[in-house]
Amino acid sequence: MAKTRTGPEDFQRPLRRLLVGIAVLLLLGLFLLWRIDSPRVERFRASLIDAVVPSMNWVMAPVTWASGVLGDFQSYNQLLEQNRELRAELRKMEAWKEAALQLEQKNARLLDLNKVRLDPKFTYVTGVVMADSGSPFRQSVLLNVGARDGIRDGWATMDGIGLVGRISGVGERTARVILVTDTNSRIPVTVQPSGQKAILSGDNSPLPPLEFIDDTDEVRPGDRVVTSGDGGVFPAGLLVGQVVLSTDKRLRVVLAADYQRLEFLRVLRSHELEPITDPGHLIAPPLLPPQPDTSAATLEEAAGAPPAETEGGNVEAAGSGAAEGEGDSDG
Amino acid sequence: MADFWRQTHWLFRALFLVLAMLLLFTRLLPLSHAPGTLPGPDVLICLILAWIVRRPDFLPMPLIALVILIEDLVLLRPPGLWTAIVVVATEFLRSRIILTRELNFLVEWMLVSGVMLAMMLAYRLGLGLAFVPQPPFGFAIVQMLWSIALYPLVVGLSRLIFDLRKPATGEIDNFGRRL
Repeated sequence: MAKTRTGPEDFQRPLRRLLVGIAVLLLLGLFLLWRIDSPRVERFRASLIDAVVPSMNWVMAPVTWASGVLGDFQSYNQLLEQNRELRAELRKMEAWKEAALQLEQKNARLLDLNKVRLDPKFTYVTGVVMADSGSPFRQSVLLNVGARDGIRDGWATMDGIGLVGRISGVGERTARVILVTDTNSRIPVTVQPSGQKAILSGDNSPLPPLEFIDDTDEVRPGDRVVTSGDGGVFPAGLLVGQVVLSTDKRLRVVLAADYQRLEFLRVLRSHELEPITDPGHLIAPPLLPPQPDTSAATLEEAAGAPPAETEGGNVEAAGSGAAEGEGDSDG
Repeated sequence: MADFWRQTHWLFRALFLVLAMLLLFTRLLPLSHAPGTLPGPDVLICLILAWIVRRPDFLPMPLIALVILIEDLVLLRPPGLWTAIVVVATEFLRSRIILTRELNFLVEWMLVSGVMLAMMLAYRLGLGLAFVPQPPFGFAIVQMLWSIALYPLVVGLSRLIFDLRKPATGEIDNFGRRL
């Protein structure tokens, strides 16, 4: 087009080409400079943006505001629809809430039927620890309460928080408590929340291991361990401690009771316990008088009692027979 | 001197500058753009190519270089490379103005699309040669397709609003010179 013009444009064409070439070279040079010495160019860019963009701010603010208003307007438009959706969702939630309330009531009824709670009948006698046997083979303490105070063999002993042990051996003024950590101690426990039954068997270590767990995968470190009440020795639901995984990959229990400071112990009275007449029958279910039809009696008994009871009782009996013997010899 | 300023191309150059700044301004607006959304068209490139095909005297090379360089710097692109590519592309179209003047719009559109594609490829090639990390190829393709789709709109609006069109044969400017 420059060609069609008259006058000085005729010599402009090669000059133009030269100018364009120089400009392109300069621009590519700038790009290379940026690539090689990026910080310097970026500093220049930053200062340029610093100079330009804030001065545009006062224009930007109203435009941004206007677009915000536009967006708000659109969302107002959708308000009706949104409201409807929320109402539908709320109705659904009401149904859920109703279901939850019903389940809660049902749960309360079932709990009531099962009498799942720590029995309020329990009263306790508090004793002071007089002495504890420091021997590494016997983990037991002596309390200053005894037969005079109505203490009987087999009762559970707690400190303020968790289970400490079991009365094993009662004198007139003293009672011996065999601790959970003792090698002779076998306590039937339940691991919550999975509900796995296990035996807490003392091994003279501060963390007694859990044994005979049905499904080890269900038990996780941190689970609560409470007494299960199997065997009829201990009331169910007494806090024992928390599960931990020890370095030898065994599940052990950190006891909730403070074993460093066993000072005042509560001995729980459980009146349902049968009187103990001789050491061998400390734990076993009460012997019925011999009847002609023994099979029917045992059947009836099995129906009345939870199935795990006899099993737990046997283990308990196996563990505590020696302890009782020990206690007797002491007393 | 007064005659010099009466020429229409000064008016259009100022207009181009204003439009370019407006476009840059809209791209700087802090309207939340979530990352990952596909890019829109590059309106400025459409504008430049549409105008350069119609009236190359409205867009002198230094003006284009200045505008694109500012855009490079403000939009945090690698400075210079895209500017150089735009300058080369506009010079390519400018030198073929006698040819493009004869073309109907469809062919012109195809020509411009080809130029845009070549620009995009050259840009990515340049970035690749310099080992500059670049956005995914799909994004660049989507932006280019958007630009191509927008090109007729830009041409139409320029025609409607600014009465920008290819000079007819024998048309003369205010000073009686042939365009």
